[in-house]
Amino acid sequence: MAIPAKPPRNWWLWGGAGGFLLAMTVWSAHGIGFSLNELFCNMGMGSRLLNESFPPDFAFLPRLFGPFMETLYIAIIGTVVGGILAIPIAVLAARNLSLGKLVWFADRNFMNILRTLPDLFWAMLFAAAVGFGPVAGALALSVFTIAVISKLWSESLEAIDMGLPEAVRAAGGSWLQMVKFGALPQALSQYVSYTLYAFELNVRSSMVLGLVGAGGIGMILETQRANFEYERVTMIILAVLVAVLIIEQISESIRKRLA
Amino acid sequence: MSTSIKPQPQGRVGWATWATFIIAALFVWSLWAIEFSPARMIQVPGQLAEQLSFFYPVDMAYGWDAVLPAIVESIQIAWMGTLIAAVLSLPLALLGARTLFPRVARFVKLISATARAFPEILLAIYFVPIVGLGPFAGALAIGISSVGMLTKLGSEVVESIDFGPVEAVEASGGSRWLALRYAVMPQVLPELAAHWLFRFELNIRASAVLGVVGAGGVGGVLLNTLRYGHLDKAAAVLILTIIVVLIIDMISGEIRHRIIRG
Repeated sequence: MAIPAKPPRNWWLWGGAGGFLLAMTVWSAHGIGFSLNELFCNMGMGSRLLNESFPPDFAFLPRLFGPFMETLYIAIIGTVVGGILAIPIAVLAARNLSLGKLVWFADRNFMNILRTLPDLFWAMLFAAAVGFGPVAGALALSVFTIAVISKLWSESLEAIDMGLPEAVRAAGGSWLQMVKFGALPQALSQYVSYTLYAFELNVRSSMVLGLVGAGGIGMILETQRANFEYERVTMIILAVLVAVLIIEQISESIRKRLA
Repeated sequence: MSTSIKPQPQGRVGWATWATFIIAALFVWSLWAIEFSPARMIQVPGQLAEQLSFFYPVDMAYGWDAVLPAIVESIQIAWMGTLIAAVLSLPLALLGARTLFPRVARFVKLISATARAFPEILLAIYFVPIVGLGPFAGALAIGISSVGMLTKLGSEVVESIDFGPVEAVEASGGSRWLALRYAVMPQVLPELAAHWLFRFELNIRASAVLGVVGAGGVGGVLLNTLRYGHLDKAAAVLILTIIVVLIIDMISGEIRHRIIRG
């Protein structure tokens, strides 16, 4: 039995891709001053920092409770406001439900632009506009939540069975009735699931919003970091990590049950 | 009776109603707790509109001179971070596959789950004092924090492979190492590369904010312009960031689709 011939390799493609990867890497490494030498020479600094960071300052823990609750409030408000506003945006961004090509196109691009800016950019902008504090954080997370849910959910809406919405239309229902009774019920469980997912992301990012003055536990983190109180920084980060993991576990178990 | 309508269940409050009620209560309580009173709520749109009016005219000269180099730095941070993460996560992804290494996999998965809970900006807080202010700290933070997700996705890819080639290599006397090289790697590499690219897209956004803690990139520029109230310059940051991120997303998304389709 003859061995099948190996398919010829496209050397141009492989060479081009490899060259591009190498060029990008050299350029980037040079640009950011990447050096393993520096990393290893600074290991001494690292061990000193670790010494300063451990043990964490457990006496500081009670003072974290208030800011931590503020973080949760911000995440809840952001998820609820963003979750509600995401519904019309997702519906209009779904090709099969949207009101005409123009609306679809405009909404889709609006959604993509929202998605390009990271959560902390929104937090900085809102902190500059409405002043430092949790209100800025809640607004920032609302926008971020709209971006997350509308993108994911518009894709589920595009995958629904169009028989039901068409039946509502044929029975004389308006566009709104078609969406409400024909389309949304089919994708409801995905909506709940994505909203919970957005809540997980929001809890995580609301922990760092305070770094730019948008309220929550991050504000304490920023002051302790600026004063190089690394024992306290470690305490805050440990508390954040435990809280995030617990909330994620709860949210994930609910999501699994829904699926 | 020719047509009968199913009776609706009556007198029972469904779980959805309860959930809505609880969420609404939590929401109102949260608003009250952060003192977001109705009076404050009415103020907000006016404040936003006022700030937006200062965005114009956009200071594009500042954009080309100061913002674009910072965005380039963000891209370089994201690239190096993704590269570090790809290199570190490749062996971990193999070790984390239940089908290949049943005993180690559980442990690797636990570590990767913990690593994923860390926002990169918190890691940057630790790397900045170690290697100094600047983009190098940012690249390290991005790299380490991406390892968790890439390990998880990677080991899922490895778990989903066709086991035939692995058995074939082992049946013909090949070692575990040869099986990895000739049976596992060729199957998983395209999908892993797609995941790396996807993580690169996410890392562009992540590296953009690292400047907030002094780890390089465009975030520090935005924070400074806003701190001194130069909103026309902040507008330049936003516009350029949006354009660059959209372009990179498009290119990277296109490459990912091609890789997956083969």
